[in-house]
Amino acid sequence: MPTDRQNRDVGGMVIAAIFILTGALALWDTLEYVDADSYVFPRTVAGAMVVFCIVLIAWSLVRPVAAAPRRSESTPRRVGLVSAMLGAALLMPYTGFLISGLLAFGAIAWLAMYDPWTRGRLIIYPLVGSAIVLGFYFLFHKVLLVPLPAGKLLSV
Amino acid sequence: MDSLGYLFAALTPYHVALALGGVVAGTVVGSLPGLTATMAVAVLIPVTFSMEPASALILMGAIYTGAIYGGAYAAILLNTPGTPSAIATTFDGYPMAKRGDGDLAITLACIASVCGGLVGALFLLSLAPPLANVALAFGPVEYFWLAMLGLTLISALSQGNLLKGLIGASFGLLLSCIGVAEISADVRLTFGSQTLLGGIEVVSALIGLYCVPVLIDLVATPDRHLKVEAASRGFRLHEALQSSWQGKVNLARSSVIGTLVGILPGAGGSIAGLVAYAEARRSSKKPERFGCGEPDGVQATESANNATVGGGFIPTLVLGIPGTPPDAVILGALLIQGVRTGPNLFTEHGSIVYVFIWGLLIATLLMLPAGMLIGRYAYRSIVTVPKAMLVPTVAFMTLIGTYAIRNSISDVVIMIVLGVLGWILGRFGFSVSPVVLGLILGSIAEQGFVQGWIIGAAAENLWGEFFGRPIALGIVAFILLSLFSPLLLNRLRLKRELASAD
Amino acid sequence: MMTRLRRVLVVPLTAALIMFATGASAEYPEKPISYVIPFGPGGESDITARHQQPFFKKKFAEDMIISYKPGGGGAVGWAQLNEMPGDGYNIMGVNLPHIIVKPLQKDVGFKTDELTLIYMFHYTPDAVVVKADSPFKTLQDMIDYAKQNPGKMTFSGSGKGTANHLAQVTFDKLAGVKTTYVAFKGTGASVTALLGKQVMGQWGYTSVGAKHADKVRLLAVAMEQRHPRFPDVPTFKELGFDIVSGAYRGIAVPNSTPEDIREKLSAMIGEINADAEFKKKMEADGFALVHVDYRGIKAFMDEKKDGYVAAAKEAGVIK
Repeated sequence: MPTDRQNRDVGGMVIAAIFILTGALALWDTLEYVDADSYVFPRTVAGAMVVFCIVLIAWSLVRPVAAAPRRSESTPRRVGLVSAMLGAALLMPYTGFLISGLLAFGAIAWLAMYDPWTRGRLIIYPLVGSAIVLGFYFLFHKVLLVPLPAGKLLSV
Repeated sequence: MDSLGYLFAALTPYHVALALGGVVAGTVVGSLPGLTATMAVAVLIPVTFSMEPASALILMGAIYTGAIYGGAYAAILLNTPGTPSAIATTFDGYPMAKRGDGDLAITLACIASVCGGLVGALFLLSLAPPLANVALAFGPVEYFWLAMLGLTLISALSQGNLLKGLIGASFGLLLSCIGVAEISADVRLTFGSQTLLGGIEVVSALIGLYCVPVLIDLVATPDRHLKVEAASRGFRLHEALQSSWQGKVNLARSSVIGTLVGILPGAGGSIAGLVAYAEARRSSKKPERFGCGEPDGVQATESANNATVGGGFIPTLVLGIPGTPPDAVILGALLIQGVRTGPNLFTEHGSIVYVFIWGLLIATLLMLPAGMLIGRYAYRSIVTVPKAMLVPTVAFMTLIGTYAIRNSISDVVIMIVLGVLGWILGRFGFSVSPVVLGLILGSIAEQGFVQGWIIGAAAENLWGEFFGRPIALGIVAFILLSLFSPLLLNRLRLKRELASAD
Repeated sequence: MMTRLRRVLVVPLTAALIMFATGASAEYPEKPISYVIPFGPGGESDITARHQQPFFKKKFAEDMIISYKPGGGGAVGWAQLNEMPGDGYNIMGVNLPHIIVKPLQKDVGFKTDELTLIYMFHYTPDAVVVKADSPFKTLQDMIDYAKQNPGKMTFSGSGKGTANHLAQVTFDKLAGVKTTYVAFKGTGASVTALLGKQVMGQWGYTSVGAKHADKVRLLAVAMEQRHPRFPDVPTFKELGFDIVSGAYRGIAVPNSTPEDIREKLSAMIGEINADAEFKKKMEADGFALVHVDYRGIKAFMDEKKDGYVAAAKEAGVIK
């Protein structure tokens, strides 16, 4: 078991290493700019970021930190939430905004449910959910005239 | 017509109805993340074709001011700035809500917004022509230094680890470069991706970085979103008024900062809020409490961002130079109606300008009751809605709101990816606020620097360009003050403690 | 309730599908047209579209609904144009030189020839603008100063690879001077820099002269003939420089739009352009109308392309 004294900020160092790679990638991208005005700023900033990251890694190697307390949390639900949102965004061009929105809403409601699904909730939640989605859809599409995607394969 | 006559012209039932309707609609629009004041005003343009210019201005001004206030709701209750102006409201508003003081924070925000709005509108009423020159006195170098002043907030926002804050801010600055460059001729950091071509839109990035991590954590535990007290405590108006009275210096200073920043065409409500927040923190006796739910922080940003409404109208009406993005839309609507802006608008077309300004003042005052009622409702619904409905509703709002900003699915994807990134960074002690700071200030800093450099080089006087202009030097002085005053204060305090220990 | 709601949503959509399938209907347009501006609200592309809006409604009894799809200097919108339904109810604003220069710099998701332009309705002529109290009274004053002080004459302008920038490069070459061009984000910021004396002059547009009439002076305009709003301002041609340029604006449709609808839309935009009141309003704001319809657009584009590409190479914004 690592004690507090031996604990290093490994996560922070890994993130810093990823940022160093990002900075290097950005510096490489600036090589092909034709206009001097375009590269001064990103080069300076990317360079500074790399330097900060190196200092952070060096610092973390010499100075241990206290470990963060672990909490009981549900990672599958987190992944599910992000997948549902991303899925809705990627489905939008094909099924249109309304259908992908309703699907995402349903999936996320199911993920965020910690109480038992009683019969009342099974009836009320989908109704309220559809009303919320349709209400926002109406507000944005008809009142605010936002051209929400209509869907190539399916339209409402 | 004398000024009393203009006031009565603004007090007709029609105009009061426009002001009230505008404020209510604006507040609702502003509270939805992704719906900005700019968009609400743009949607209204065809409606205003058939209106008198003064009435059209009152309606658009009321919507604008309401939207800026409405942005506070989502900032306080969901950690998501409804409009970019409310970014700094999240810093203390959300911690307040988390500990159960969301209702107080919303009432405070309402009072602060009304104060700021009144100050901005009164400056517009009394001093518009001379103040408009501030818009012209700010050159590229001044914008560059203003952005640097904003960046001094990194230390306050990095939650104990300055290095991580600096890394986050550099990353944010880098993010601001993505896409087709605004003032140079390259396409940057897209790596061939069409999704990144349009760059990272600030509002969608805010939604992603602030709101998505909250959702990710909400879904992972059965805990309630916000802590609630069992008994309803109403508006907590008395408490809020007391706190506002104690913070009156802060309110006044922030309102003036907001007005001045609002006049600057390259800045806007988000910068106004950030600068006011930085100043409130710097001059506070308890700077360490900022970021942990300090009411002064909410008051500073909310008064400053509403003051930008009146401030922004100053160059818009006097010079024809829009002070903020919604002003650009309002200016366009006026042009199409055949109203020419300029100093003579104030002297020859008083019936338009002064009726409008009185209308804006009335709208701002109406925001006090209207805003408190809507705020109460927003708070109650966020607190009482069961989690299984709250999380999908907010998630759906982020999707539709992000899409609506530029009618772009790419922005929705970027929003979600940034959200995941923000959550991961947060896990490892990298706060997202420095990233946002970099993203917002990046283009101002870059453009100011590049333009200042070219102008200085052409005049063969680079040093003079960056360090020889009075306003620039003034801002540099504030930067030094914010950087070093905590150190000095600490040393003084140590000395005093040592002295008392002896 | 639900079924009624659904019916409300389904009926117009089915109608749209039928419209799409049968192509042009006799009474086109029979519903509002969506007009996408690939820039943000408040800019000149927006304002000129807003000028068209009421005339469209008056002449064709249908609304023109303006929405915005900003990003990438217009590229984001243009890259998505051909994916929109080609039913005649989706149109998008296009700008020169943007749609010519941008695709040559990098892959921005569209090629100039992939856009189906149906009408070019106006342009905002380039102009050299100075403050009203500037010592430069004529273009010659400015040239003399620039000759004596190479590189010291500073101009603000909107962006790089834009009409302003290309005009500056062309002018420097023709006049044999070296001036400094400072790019700003859009015309608004560039005017602010001029009025605040951050720069000595501006490569701007005639519209700047109209909007800030009491504060600025135009030294020359890049038009064939003098602008009716500024009868005293000479053209570059009169002064011996062959520059006729500016930011041209027009309308494009998705490439799936049938030929007869393209023709019809082109005629409709032409009808708005021919309206005397429209012309008056546009010219009062400093714009200049052009009338390039669907049939003439190819010849027009071919001619413009050569000029812009040469200038952009000169300016170093394309290789």
